[in-house]
Amino acid sequence: MAVTVPILRQGSVLIASIQEDLCDSDILNLQSRILEDVIKCRAKAVIIDVSAIGVLDSFGTKTLTEIAYSVKMRGAETVIVGIQPDVALSMVLLGLTLRDIPTALDLDHGLALIGGS
Amino acid sequence: MQAQEPVDSQIQAIRRDADVISARQMGRRLAEDMGFGRPDQALIATAISELARNIVVYAGYGEIEVSVVRQGHRQGLRIVARDRGPGIADLGSALADGYSTGNSLGLGLPGTRRIVDDFDIRSTPGEGVEVTAVKWRRQ
Amino acid sequence: MRWFDLSESDRTQTRELSRIADDVSERIIEAFYAHLLSDQTAARHFRGADHIARVKQGQSRYFRELISADVDDSYIADRRRIGSIHERTGVTPTLYIGSYAYYLNKLALEVQQQMPEAPEKAFTLILSLFKIAHFDMALALETYVDAREETIKARERELSELPTPVLQLRPGLLLIPVVGTLDSYRARTLTVQLLEGIKEHRARAVVLDITGVAAVDSAVANHLIQSMAAARLMGAHSVLTGLSAEVAQSLVKVGVTGEALNTAGDLQRGIQLAENLLKG
Repeated sequence: MAVTVPILRQGSVLIASIQEDLCDSDILNLQSRILEDVIKCRAKAVIIDVSAIGVLDSFGTKTLTEIAYSVKMRGAETVIVGIQPDVALSMVLLGLTLRDIPTALDLDHGLALIGGS
Repeated sequence: MQAQEPVDSQIQAIRRDADVISARQMGRRLAEDMGFGRPDQALIATAISELARNIVVYAGYGEIEVSVVRQGHRQGLRIVARDRGPGIADLGSALADGYSTGNSLGLGLPGTRRIVDDFDIRSTPGEGVEVTAVKWRRQ
Repeated sequence: MRWFDLSESDRTQTRELSRIADDVSERIIEAFYAHLLSDQTAARHFRGADHIARVKQGQSRYFRELISADVDDSYIADRRRIGSIHERTGVTPTLYIGSYAYYLNKLALEVQQQMPEAPEKAFTLILSLFKIAHFDMALALETYVDAREETIKARERELSELPTPVLQLRPGLLLIPVVGTLDSYRARTLTVQLLEGIKEHRARAVVLDITGVAAVDSAVANHLIQSMAAARLMGAHSVLTGLSAEVAQSLVKVGVTGEALNTAGDLQRGIQLAENLLKG
């Protein structure tokens, strides 16, 4: 039962809204689709909305980091939005900090962040 | 670990990465039933996620068991992750930050140890790994 | 026990006193309570005649054991229990040792009077009695002090559970003034409040003011850093203000450098810094 995360396009921004907890292969699938779309759409920014996710463990965080770094190599920016309070705390305690990757409270803030940059 | 024998326990077989999600949902439900707050529920689910993934990546097959344990007045949620995989030859390194032989950040085991209260790992090379972790509930 | 130079012979000696002690104990206790109840502060410990009768009975048993019971594990456990009861019921060391001294003095006098033919023997017997009595008091007092510490710790814990306010200075900017003792438990609670506050107020910057925090050890410093890192994951900048020299040192010890962390000397400058961060 593979979950396919919808990737919406809004101008030059791609928005991937993850709706539920993803297993590792779903995350890898998302990773490759985002990279394809960034190239296809010549996107300037990618917003990944993780507000519906209850767990971001080492694998999930590592994959998000990889996405952000490879998107950057295409000249675009990635913003991770919607990390919930309890998820943020677990991540920090695990030692996962998404260093150098912009974050925002929610989609609105994420869009504002991109608009301002 | 001196915790008493568990009262009731639930087991999730771990064969593929989708089972990782079932296991952590099982753990989160139990944590919620036991009255753990949201932050602790997330920590428990995260710990299970790390342990279950290790099974998928390193052993291929195993199980996650969650149960309620008591010690005096304290109540805790115990996670046992067991597999019959190749085992870990060098436990010391596996528990050190940054060590990884598989496809992860190398934060799995040391990270898990940090987010639970009790942590115990046993491994015999060739015979698999058993990790026991307990999160105690605040009085 | 060795510290008190107690030996089996002391016990044998004091048992020789039991005839005299049994004889006079009751009288001493009666006299003592007459003396005690004349003091208003002391009298407040008792709830009526029934209570006094019960306590007298207990005391008489206590002294009987002092003279003749085996000094074994159950004796020691019993003496310890008495120490913790005293702590709970507000019997101060002054009252406890005072009543002990009263009893020992009276009993020693009696012994001296009743053994005029063998004053040296009487003296040895009394010495043995004093040894056991001191051992006894040490046990009760040690437990008293332990129980006291427990009580104080419990109170500190209550204090540390005081909720910390999360104030919105203006839309998007929160101020969290932390006051009191910051132990690991409270620091963790604070982290959760901070993160929930960011979500609830849709904040983009938080000023954490720790001017009112007494001391920060490295464990708590770690919690503070973790809070700020978690806030960052939620998309909020955080600024730490009110660091004392000591706290700054704790932070450096856990490996924090000024660059990784937004800090400001005082609240005013902290808020300024947060405003600037908001403007980006």
